[in-house]
Amino acid sequence: MTGYSSFVTLDVHREGNVGWLVFDRPDQGNAMDAVMLAELETAWRELDADPAVRVIVTTGNGPAFQTGLDVAQLAADPAALREQSRRTRRAELRLTAWHNQVWKPVIAAVNGVCAGGGLHFVADADVVIAAADATFLDPHVSVGQVTAYEAIALVRTSPMEPIVRMALVGRHERITAERARQLGILSEVVDPPGRLRERARELAATIARNSPAAMAATKRALWGALEVGLTEACRRGARELVGLWGHPDQAEGPAAWAERREPQWVATGT
Amino acid sequence: MGSYRHLIVERRGPVGWLVNDRPDQLNAMNARMRDEFADAWRELDADPEVRVIVHAGNGRAFQTGVDVAEIAGDGVGMERYRQSMEDFDLHFTAWHQQVAKPVITAVNGICAGGGFHWVADADIVICAADAQFFDPHVSIGQVVSVEAIGLMRKMPVEAVMRLAFVGRHERMGAARAYELGMVSEVVDPPERLRERAQELGETIARNSPAAMAATKRALWGALEVGLTEACRRGAHELVSLWGHPDQTEGPAAFAERREPRWQP
Repeated sequence: MTGYSSFVTLDVHREGNVGWLVFDRPDQGNAMDAVMLAELETAWRELDADPAVRVIVTTGNGPAFQTGLDVAQLAADPAALREQSRRTRRAELRLTAWHNQVWKPVIAAVNGVCAGGGLHFVADADVVIAAADATFLDPHVSVGQVTAYEAIALVRTSPMEPIVRMALVGRHERITAERARQLGILSEVVDPPGRLRERARELAATIARNSPAAMAATKRALWGALEVGLTEACRRGARELVGLWGHPDQAEGPAAWAERREPQWVATGT
Repeated sequence: MGSYRHLIVERRGPVGWLVNDRPDQLNAMNARMRDEFADAWRELDADPEVRVIVHAGNGRAFQTGVDVAEIAGDGVGMERYRQSMEDFDLHFTAWHQQVAKPVITAVNGICAGGGFHWVADADIVICAADAQFFDPHVSIGQVVSVEAIGLMRKMPVEAVMRLAFVGRHERMGAARAYELGMVSEVVDPPERLRERAQELGETIARNSPAAMAATKRALWGALEVGLTEACRRGAHELVSLWGHPDQTEGPAAFAERREPRWQP
């Protein structure tokens, strides 16, 4: 795969072995309009299919990371609104890497405000880092809307009280990046904020040194574990583990380690 | 039972100790050690003198997972474990062995890769101030699975995923492990770890063994099902102890300001 589609609302590109998916509607707080909703699905598919991409970073252009659905724009596009409503009702969203079954590691680099539906991209990332001035809020109930998906995922993965508080306080309060780090919603705060992309690039490059096949199986095992009880999750996870036995990376990893060289992994993707 | 090469199993008062003892291999688990774990958990769980079990490691590591040297060296490799892993028929942690007694894991030094099994499957985890946690699996082409799945139920998930995907290129320190609730206490200076584990073990040993066993079944069982069903099963555990002598001995001892005499 040599090139990506041309996108209007996203900046999708590859640097080395890192794929970038950048929200690019800075004047609208990177809110998702009908075009972006369609482009997200394409972008994830193309990044996942590009064998040169080992790790994907999502971030935003401008002062906001993501602020959810662009309700004003969607109201003016009845067909798009209808389609999104249908997907929401049927739990067939295609916004995030998790929705689109992307099995490459995804880092969310939260560059500013992350509001409402923007929380999908935090909830569904594998690793989350944020600029020191990033904030998190969920205004749904302040505008008469229900919070569901984003908060449901976050209560599986984080301490619950702060998530429920965020959902019920609505637009009247924000969680800071540092508080989100303390709570384990994210693992790193980048200060000064201007260093966020540089740090995301470094972290992605670090993760890209690991076996793509092992990371894909790990990702399936860990996300799959959120679906069932502990023993059944372990049973399924054990099958993912054994599923890689015999793969060339399993011999290459220890060999490279013994020879003190970088491993030559088998590429994944199509 | 009772003859161990890679573990030390002993008693100090009401506390049973299970100590990883392959310090020159950073306590990596070979096939024999794996079998010894199965026996040691059963032995300590069956001993009526033992009320609480502490799991620790000798040397500069707590545990570093499967013994890669053995796997690489004898031509059998991981295949020896295929059947037990495919069937998820494991016996090397207290959870695998359905140990009824409270288990404290005391992490000294390095805890890497498969070492997380005993962090995930313990009831209480404390660590030395110089403890370091990392998971190198994906850096050597291996999948992270069961131990991380256990951890994800007990602490913020993003941190577990970061450990899994960053691999050997980053380590988590004791302070962050404490902040995240992966451990409940950091012991400083590190040399005091065993002493503190023994104290904590003796403190827990003052509580009713029967009540703790039912509590443990209720809480671990809750990880298996949805919330309402977990509460239903938990209520069953709760009621099952009604009428047990400890239920009258506890309040009586409290009223008489003396230590309770629990049923063994």
